[in-house]
Amino acid sequence: MTGAVDPYARFAPTSPRQFLYGLNPLAKVAAVLPAIVLLVFVRDLATPAAFLVLSYGVLLVGARITVRIAALLLGALPLGILLIGIGFSIWVDAGLVADTVPVASVGGWTLYSGALAIGFATALRLGAIIALALIGGLTTTGPDLVRASVQQLRVPYRIGYTALAAFRFVPRFGYELSVIRAAHRVRGHHGGRGPFARIARGWGYIVPLLAGAIRHAERVALAMDSRAFGAHPTRTERHLVPFRRRDLVFIVLMLAASALIFLVLP
Amino acid sequence: MRPSAPLLSVRDLSITHADAVDPSPSGVSFDVHAGEVVLLLGPSGAGKSTLTLALNGLIPHAVPASMTGTVVAGDLDTSTATTPVLSTRVAMVFQDPDAQIVTGTVYDEVAFGPENLLLPLDVVESRTREALRRVGLWERRTDNPDQLSGGGRQRLAIACALAMESPLIVLDEPTANLDPQGTEDVYTALADVVAAGDRAILLVEHNLDAAMALATRVIVLDRAGRMAFDGPPAAVLRDNVDELVAMGVWLPAATLEALRMRDAGATLDPLPLTVVELDAALASAARLAETAAARPSEAPTAGLPAVPAVRLQDPGTSAGGESGFSSDIRAPILQTSPPQTSPQQTSPPPTPQPRTPQPQTPVIRARGLTVRKGRSEVLHGIDLDVEAGSLTAIVGANGAGKTTLIQALAGVVPPPRRQVDVAGLDPATASPRELAGRIGFVFQNPEHQFIAPTVFDELAHGLRLRHTPDDEITTRVEGMLARFGLADKADRHPFLLSGGEKRRLSVGTALISRPQVLALDEPTFGQDRARASELLALLDALRAEGTTIVIVTHDLQLVADHASHTVVLADGRVHASGPTDDLLRSGRAFSDAGLRLPALQRMLAGRS
Repeated sequence: MTGAVDPYARFAPTSPRQFLYGLNPLAKVAAVLPAIVLLVFVRDLATPAAFLVLSYGVLLVGARITVRIAALLLGALPLGILLIGIGFSIWVDAGLVADTVPVASVGGWTLYSGALAIGFATALRLGAIIALALIGGLTTTGPDLVRASVQQLRVPYRIGYTALAAFRFVPRFGYELSVIRAAHRVRGHHGGRGPFARIARGWGYIVPLLAGAIRHAERVALAMDSRAFGAHPTRTERHLVPFRRRDLVFIVLMLAASALIFLVLP
Repeated sequence: MRPSAPLLSVRDLSITHADAVDPSPSGVSFDVHAGEVVLLLGPSGAGKSTLTLALNGLIPHAVPASMTGTVVAGDLDTSTATTPVLSTRVAMVFQDPDAQIVTGTVYDEVAFGPENLLLPLDVVESRTREALRRVGLWERRTDNPDQLSGGGRQRLAIACALAMESPLIVLDEPTANLDPQGTEDVYTALADVVAAGDRAILLVEHNLDAAMALATRVIVLDRAGRMAFDGPPAAVLRDNVDELVAMGVWLPAATLEALRMRDAGATLDPLPLTVVELDAALASAARLAETAAARPSEAPTAGLPAVPAVRLQDPGTSAGGESGFSSDIRAPILQTSPPQTSPQQTSPPPTPQPRTPQPQTPVIRARGLTVRKGRSEVLHGIDLDVEAGSLTAIVGANGAGKTTLIQALAGVVPPPRRQVDVAGLDPATASPRELAGRIGFVFQNPEHQFIAPTVFDELAHGLRLRHTPDDEITTRVEGMLARFGLADKADRHPFLLSGGEKRRLSVGTALISRPQVLALDEPTFGQDRARASELLALLDALRAEGTTIVIVTHDLQLVADHASHTVVLADGRVHASGPTDDLLRSGRAFSDAGLRLPALQRMLAGRS
């Protein structure tokens, strides 16, 4: 097995407190989607910070915190916010914020507090959007999302299950790419160092990778047809993903909390 | 005539692929009845796979091809019914197990078909349970199919076909991608299906040794895709063996062996079709020889190179003058095996393998080669010499480290320093340019290594890297193009070549810088026999010219027929190595490493 995430792996909650696994995947999407859309237009610091706190709170209570998830929530995400914040602060056009308080200066270049504010507002916004998406992302399996989409949203199952079958392609392509890279290296297709040579080399991998991918996809399609895929407009569902009262409660609570944050904070 | 209606009825079927001129198959008619196991044979290009695609309506509905004639499966005409509807009449198992798996667990995979049929939940569950039990995968129902072996995944595909409960199951080369153990697993499962007697099976298979035991009927298509023979396996194969050989149809290894003996002068009658029959025929021949040898003047001359010169024109009569047909028989079979390049080449008298005198100078030397992948150690201190001029095969069970070893020897994945020496060069530190002058590497899938937009540039690449003068590049590339039959394809994009041309080009690119060693990773994996034979003939020719060849393979029949030396790996260590004949003689070197010898070699080893 590769180290890649298995999209089919089942999640087992280890305590009744971890309510997120029992919710309908669509409820987890519906509960955070309005907030994610509105966050795109927010420009202040406090609103995204509040949403970060909210989503971290929901996740820490409602999800099973494994080492991997802890590393993501407490390590990777805060670090990313910090780096993006600093990056954007430096990148901001100094002319826009020249009337704010200077924080530091190196030679002729000055970092204004306004630049820091803009930079970190952007970084926190991205962080909050990711954290909200993780509420569903960390507690939902691919098949359950597909089943819920087919059962509640009436997405045609041909589309949903084809997407699911496509998940299987990912590790295969990863392996194939590594073989192609080794093959090109041993043939001496280096083309120099640096980012541009790297991009040029990448182009050389695309043709063999795509040729293999198309052939594989055709074979999978024939195999699925041969097993009655698409024989009827619907198919038997062994795993029902019900939409229950608790899903509605979760959506209402999350939307209320989101509204509160948007209304109370400027 | 049979009273029941046929499960499948094919009438005057001709199929022309979108990019082909002539139809193949062409004007084929046959019926398949319940309980039959039909083996479909024919040379490469006869349209066997195309025919299978027409049986459940993939042709004409999903694959671009024009079709005339009719195919009726049960009560459905495939020209009007679509494939999903036809799946209740005809179930399919394809060659590549990975390309038929669409879900995340073994159980979901088998349930996928019945769910699509909109069956009630309890029927879905009972069919899934029944099918998984039949192929012996019920205990693994919660596993991800990725965790199964190749043979296990193909058994899963058979379970999926069983769960469709269609009366006819069509299998297109189900074992072509499998190692010997996987092949055996698949045939054990198929034998169980056949034993139940409720299904008919139509099988395209090149591994006839496994398939002959099951088949009740053989249909042979000729090179043009027309029906050549149709009848019981024994009658079709025995009565038409010379036509089949001329046609390029693959035959069971035991039959090929008997034909070789016939060419050498010892005719076995009836012609053996299975290893068991060959064994019995040899035993009775040996008894006859012993009777003959009992006459004092004709004592067997033990120790002399035995020539199978006994003629057994009539079973039951002592025919031979000279003897030597006792237990020595296995030695000549093993040693004079001609290159089994294609069935046609069994007809001329056996030519001895080109055995260059071996000066005992290893061209590749590994000492204490240890390779890690991530945190785990894959190869543990390998000591290995590859003799110059040999064709050395590296074999081993899945996960033994075969590919890792050949990649480290060839510098594809650089080994640790000072552990490998290839003709005086350390692949750990050598540049691709230097390395290409010593060892050429051919990947399993030729497409992976193509980097230039035309066939000419593809071949010239290695030379340009070495700053060879332009006019010399032109002459050498043109020589290579002519040698590999690619002269009229020089301006083509490598991806637009046919499968066999791609393989020849990939070998050509590895040879253009004239390396002393050519290394190939599973070059025959998943290929049909005709293409594999073409490649092996090429390797034998290269070796005769003095190139050392190292090959990783799981095809032990290929090893027995072509390799001068064999290295058996087990768990990342060298389990045995030496001349192939010596290793085959006992057979223990293979079986102890978890490898199953082909039935023929097993029988021969057992007779010693």
